[in-house]
Amino acid sequence: MLTPLRQIKISLITAPEFNLDYLWWLTILFLVLSIVYFVGVFIIRNRITSNNSRTKEKKVEFSPMINEFLFYEDSNTKEEKMNYLNLKIQIRESIKNKFDRHVLTEVLLDLRKDLSGQSQTVLIDLYKDLGLHHDAYEKLGSSKWQIVSSGILELTTMEVNEAYGLVLKFINHRQSTIRKQAEIAVVNLKEEGIKYFLDNTKYKIAEWQQLKLLDVLRHKPNYTPPQFGLWLTSTNTQVVLFSLRLIKYYSQNDAEQSITTLLKHKKRDIQAEAIECIKIFHFVNALPTLKLVYPKASRDIKIAILDAIGEIGSTADVPFLENLKSTEKHFNIKSKVFSTLNKINPESVLPTKNISNAAFYDVEINVDSQETVSELHESQEELLTNIATAKSSLNTENKETVIEETFEVVSRVEKAEVDKVEETRTKEIHQGTISNEVEFVQEEPKEAEMTDEIDSSLLLHIKNDVAITKNSVDVENIEKVEHLDKVKEDFTFNFLPFVVEVTSIEEQTPSFIQEDFEPLFELEGEFIANEQEVPTVIGLEQSLTDEIDEIDWSSLDKVNVEKKEVAIEASDSDEPIISFENGEVTFSASFMPQAELETMVILENISELGNSLELDLLHEIIEENSSELIKERANELIQKFSYKTPLPNQLFDKENDLSESVFTDIYHLADLETKLILLNEIKDVGDAKEIYLIESIIESESKKLAKVAIEALNEIKSRVVLTTEELRPIANDPSIFDVNFKLESSESPKIRLASTDNGSTLFDQLCSMSHSLYNKING
Amino acid sequence: MSKRVLLADDDQLLASLLNFRLEKGGYAVHHSANGKEVKEYLKNNIPDIIVSDIMMPYFSGIELIDYVRNELKSKTPIIIISSAGNEQNVLTAFELGANDFITKPVSPTELLVRIGREISK
Repeated sequence: MLTPLRQIKISLITAPEFNLDYLWWLTILFLVLSIVYFVGVFIIRNRITSNNSRTKEKKVEFSPMINEFLFYEDSNTKEEKMNYLNLKIQIRESIKNKFDRHVLTEVLLDLRKDLSGQSQTVLIDLYKDLGLHHDAYEKLGSSKWQIVSSGILELTTMEVNEAYGLVLKFINHRQSTIRKQAEIAVVNLKEEGIKYFLDNTKYKIAEWQQLKLLDVLRHKPNYTPPQFGLWLTSTNTQVVLFSLRLIKYYSQNDAEQSITTLLKHKKRDIQAEAIECIKIFHFVNALPTLKLVYPKASRDIKIAILDAIGEIGSTADVPFLENLKSTEKHFNIKSKVFSTLNKINPESVLPTKNISNAAFYDVEINVDSQETVSELHESQEELLTNIATAKSSLNTENKETVIEETFEVVSRVEKAEVDKVEETRTKEIHQGTISNEVEFVQEEPKEAEMTDEIDSSLLLHIKNDVAITKNSVDVENIEKVEHLDKVKEDFTFNFLPFVVEVTSIEEQTPSFIQEDFEPLFELEGEFIANEQEVPTVIGLEQSLTDEIDEIDWSSLDKVNVEKKEVAIEASDSDEPIISFENGEVTFSASFMPQAELETMVILENISELGNSLELDLLHEIIEENSSELIKERANELIQKFSYKTPLPNQLFDKENDLSESVFTDIYHLADLETKLILLNEIKDVGDAKEIYLIESIIESESKKLAKVAIEALNEIKSRVVLTTEELRPIANDPSIFDVNFKLESSESPKIRLASTDNGSTLFDQLCSMSHSLYNKING
Repeated sequence: MSKRVLLADDDQLLASLLNFRLEKGGYAVHHSANGKEVKEYLKNNIPDIIVSDIMMPYFSGIELIDYVRNELKSKTPIIIISSAGNEQNVLTAFELGANDFITKPVSPTELLVRIGREISK
């Protein structure tokens, strides 16, 4: 191969020269090594297997012997006794062999775990009797830690108390397994072992070891524990800690001063355990020390101290806690301060988080009342218009005037919150009455609590109006009204239909007359339930009657007026709706035309059984019927069946719970780390709903959290602005409003029938009553 | 004729010891070291009482109860012995139809009394 002229060939790496003869030697060497390895494994495995099988055989061999020993009884027969003695000789011969002795020890240790009661005692005695514990003693002298440890375990399991002295020296062994085994052995073998252990141990006592030692002590029969308070002065902090736990377990409350002093210990574990003891033993004298160590304690210890103060403290500690309430910044500690305050002085700290202030609700009430007032104004304006129309018609027909005043006063006891609104309504009504000469009141009965003052003013107004009009009054009609008043005294009516008729009764429509009398039924229905209202109503009726008596009848014009009855009758029927006979009120079923009655029955059935599918039928009923009652009822049902679930934007309205951030509750329960995670999540996925929560975090939380919250707030705000800008062009597009559905009006009709306490309307009662009467008549 | 006891336990030492004590107490004991043997034995024999460990090879004590009660439809008293005497094991055993439950370490004398009581019921 030709090389370029300028290329210099330099061999940096050269392969070592290797003699191929060695390759064969190496191959042979590896083969030999692998054979040795496999042979070694084979031999060891076989030895273990054979050893196991030998052990198994020996166990099977020893098992009946041990059974004989364990269940030997003095009452056995001679043959059995002879057999027992033979076995004893045999087993003593066997244990001369080291392997056999080892197997026998193993068998006895295994059985020790599975047996209890008398058999266990016999087993332990057999172990000692055969002198197997001497092997364990020998193990204690071994240089291998595992053998020493197994020796200690064997002596402990077989309860060889004589080994106590031998095991003591291992208490402070540098090998932890031996040390731990020795600790358990010392405590197990003798009652005073725990004292020796606490006095002499130098090493740390692990938590698990403490549990094991406590378990050993717990299972000691008839154990009398020493005063563990003696070891609270130990220089080994682990001993102090273990002693405090033992003091707590055995309820030794004789070391109050020492435990109180340990509150000032540098180790948190000891402090915590001391606080626990103080709380359990109710050491009230430790309270000043608890308060003393509080400021420099860690968070956990602070919470433990607060818990202890809550348990043993009194109202004298409230100032200390009040001070902490303002100084503590950490969420957990602050919560604990509040709970401690409430524990000592219940209900002293009330919830403040997420509680709306009183102004929030005041605003709502004001808005509500304003709405009511505006509604009343609207209705008043409508009435004024009607009055003007009526006046003009009266003028054209010459000298025919209809003066009718109907005052409906329903006295009810309402909730305190509604009182203001109701008073406002009452005043509005009153003002409207004064400002108008003639007034038709066709509104729904006002749920107003009328005071005596308002009543009297109304009555005076009636009197004045009657005097000013100077129209002739039908005396017979007045008599009838008086008669009605007397009847009402018996039957308690809470309204006052007062009719002063002059002429032109024909102009009154039947429906209007019915409406005038509707409250009668309502009152009749409430008669039994509202007995407590009787004095007020009777008083009202009586005062009205008195006012009528005071009218100067002589001043009235003696115009020749034809006798015309007050039209308390239905248009198609000659029978009165109500008749009074012998002080009893009877109602006529035929106050409504048959066809209308049937339609009303249909409407009631639709109300009970129908749904939105009946809307078409209801519209047809409205078109086909001229009766106002039917139309009104049908409209009510249409409104009822047209109800639709609220739209999403309504659900997330500010007044709705869903408008609150979903993170709020979780955040307030979370710790610092979780809060940070939550804030990051809010930053990523939050929207305008989270702004209020973040603002509250910025105001109330630590700087670290506030910083993250500010970042999240900025992020959300920028996102919200972006979203708004994106939506703007869409909002300007008129095509999106081309929706092929019609929104239902949710506004209720202004004129409504009175509603009873149980929720059914007066109209419902009317219809149900008519229905029942109709059924009665038809059999 | 002595009552027959089926002793099902894979621990040879304990089984041997209990076997010895029960025979000394007057019972005819058949020992099975695993679940398979138990099942084989029960196909041809119905003992007066069954004493079984929970943890056995092939077939656990709980499965044994289920087998005896639901497949063999036998009302033979069953006493369960177990070192795992936790609540769940005990409840499961009793729910499936075990008559008694003894936690290890066991006293052979106590077992003898319990067997006698169950047989005499």
